[in-house]
Amino acid sequence: MRKILFFTAAFCLIAATTFGASTIKIGLMAPLTGPWASEGQDMKQIVELLAGELNEHGGLLGKKVEVISADDGGDPKTAALAAQKLVTQDVVGAIGTYGSSITEASQNIYDESKVIQIANGSTAVRLTAKGLKYFFRTSPRDDEQGRVGVQALEKFGYKNVAILHDNTTYAKGLAEEARALLEKKNVNIVFYDALTPGERDYTAILTKMKSARPDGVFFTGYYPECGLLLRQKKEMNWNVPFLGGDANNNPDLIKIAGTDAAEGFYFLSPPVPQDLPSREASDFLKAYKKKYGTTPGSIWAVLSGDGFRVLTAAIKATGSTDSDKVADYLHNKLKNYPGLTGTISFDDKGDRVGEVYRVYRVNAKGEFILQP
Amino acid sequence: MEEFFQQLTNGLAVGAIYALIALGYTMVYGVLKLINFAHGELFTIGSYLGLTLLTSLGLSDVFGPVLAILLLAAMVMGLVAVVGALLERTAYRPLRESPRLSAVVSALGASIFFQNAVMLIYGARLRVYPLGILPRTAVNLFGIYLPLVKLLILFASVAIMTALYLYIHKTRIGTAIRAAAIDQGAARLMGIDVDRVILIVFLIGPALGGAAGLMVGLLYGQINFTMGWVYGLKAFTAAILGGIGNIPGAMVGGILLGVIEAMGAAYISIAWKDAIAFVVLILILIVRPTGLLGERVAEKV
Repeated sequence: MRKILFFTAAFCLIAATTFGASTIKIGLMAPLTGPWASEGQDMKQIVELLAGELNEHGGLLGKKVEVISADDGGDPKTAALAAQKLVTQDVVGAIGTYGSSITEASQNIYDESKVIQIANGSTAVRLTAKGLKYFFRTSPRDDEQGRVGVQALEKFGYKNVAILHDNTTYAKGLAEEARALLEKKNVNIVFYDALTPGERDYTAILTKMKSARPDGVFFTGYYPECGLLLRQKKEMNWNVPFLGGDANNNPDLIKIAGTDAAEGFYFLSPPVPQDLPSREASDFLKAYKKKYGTTPGSIWAVLSGDGFRVLTAAIKATGSTDSDKVADYLHNKLKNYPGLTGTISFDDKGDRVGEVYRVYRVNAKGEFILQP
Repeated sequence: MEEFFQQLTNGLAVGAIYALIALGYTMVYGVLKLINFAHGELFTIGSYLGLTLLTSLGLSDVFGPVLAILLLAAMVMGLVAVVGALLERTAYRPLRESPRLSAVVSALGASIFFQNAVMLIYGARLRVYPLGILPRTAVNLFGIYLPLVKLLILFASVAIMTALYLYIHKTRIGTAIRAAAIDQGAARLMGIDVDRVILIVFLIGPALGGAAGLMVGLLYGQINFTMGWVYGLKAFTAAILGGIGNIPGAMVGGILLGVIEAMGAAYISIAWKDAIAFVVLILILIVRPTGLLGERVAEKV
């Protein structure tokens, strides 16, 4: 009975997308409210900007593209509701979302309804290890970040390293990855623990970490906490170098920490659009600045734009909104697509192929400088 | 040993802020038997108003840093008190005669309303207090490092709490508040204007929450619209720990919670810090179901 229901529902869905719709609907699931609302708002602005540009140039397959946003609130429960909302509105594919645990809560909902999902900030390895045919991500994976992070720590020559995460799926995954790699290379892990995100006072943690005497600290959590850590570390007169994970690539980090406390902070990140020489990136930045008056806050929001671009490119190339055809094209035929964040190809698991991560350093003016 | 005292001071600074917020919960509970879930958001509003006033008025150029901070604190407390009174008037007074659950639901609604209002007015991005308002000097006492700002905030909160304690216990209005906490009907028969007492409670509690919000902004710099939830939860726990409805209890509970958290982080595990704090809470409630000071003091508020 359930099977019949499922097939009927699936049939209705396909029928509606192929015959009924006068627009091509693309979903955006993003944290429009909640702790990561600033990222989510940026994602919405970027995807709407790109959709507007596409529609000005004649749309897709002769139809207009319509972006339907759903708020995941940065929360797994809300994300499941958001995914259901998008699925019932017959979207061809959905872009999103940011946090790995949030994406995970929505993956099966999209997969069961054969809706393509292109996550833009979810780097946890296991998301693509489930064999989901319609799941892709424009963001790289934690294990690659772990590898680049450990390379950097080795290059700095640290013998005793402290690792701090924040117990989110993403930060913990990255911390475990880095710990395993460092242990193989005979680096001492003198401190390994997690903080509680959303608090203000981390002096208890810093005091404890200081007594372990690390040469350097690898913090795998997010920028609001990292900014406070840097600031409180400076106020403690503790000059240990910090390396951060890619969730620290946000200009607000400097505002929270203050320029003097943030100077010398290293972090890993896919290159920011400003550092990309490609024409796509500079055109996009110009258009974004013209419409919204600022530059995008972080790379994660720009990756949602890349998700939109590859999805629409695949629909255009296959001339179809059939999920199987589009997924097949993304897996096998899309090679070195010129994205906003560099060239994009996907492997058979839906992961983005190629080295993406770079090491950045904050200079005395609080600017993010790409390290050679 | 050095590390122990360092962690103790870390805990005291956090605890003092918990205590200030806990006072708001405990005063309202004492008089109305209502948990004001919107109190954490009043704290958030305090820190945002502080930021707005600080950046727009430029007080420190005119009055110098010390006087400017005092003026700022007075303004923030006054404004948040007005918000608190409006909250009472619109969300709680119409439900005064309804079942208690209705008022709790109304409180939760007010909390969601305030949180989203702050987001819509100030935006979802986190905001940062300008650096360098307070001196960043540190006092080094026998190897224990004490930032001056933290000491000041600790003293300020203790001073505010002492003033409140004296106000409740030595003045006529304070006596009226205590009377209304014990029995509203009897207090009314004695000629006490209970509505006015409740209004005063909703002026003082939010003002203290607003002051705590300003302190967090000045001390840590970073504020965002969801911060009231974490601080509200912790302060609520502190109020329960000390015995809800009891003013010295809230102070003791707040400071104790801060210290337990710091010590748990230092000597057991940072990741288990909150769990440790809640285990201690449960243990204390098993031994003393009314909280630490809940029974010993007969008069409530």
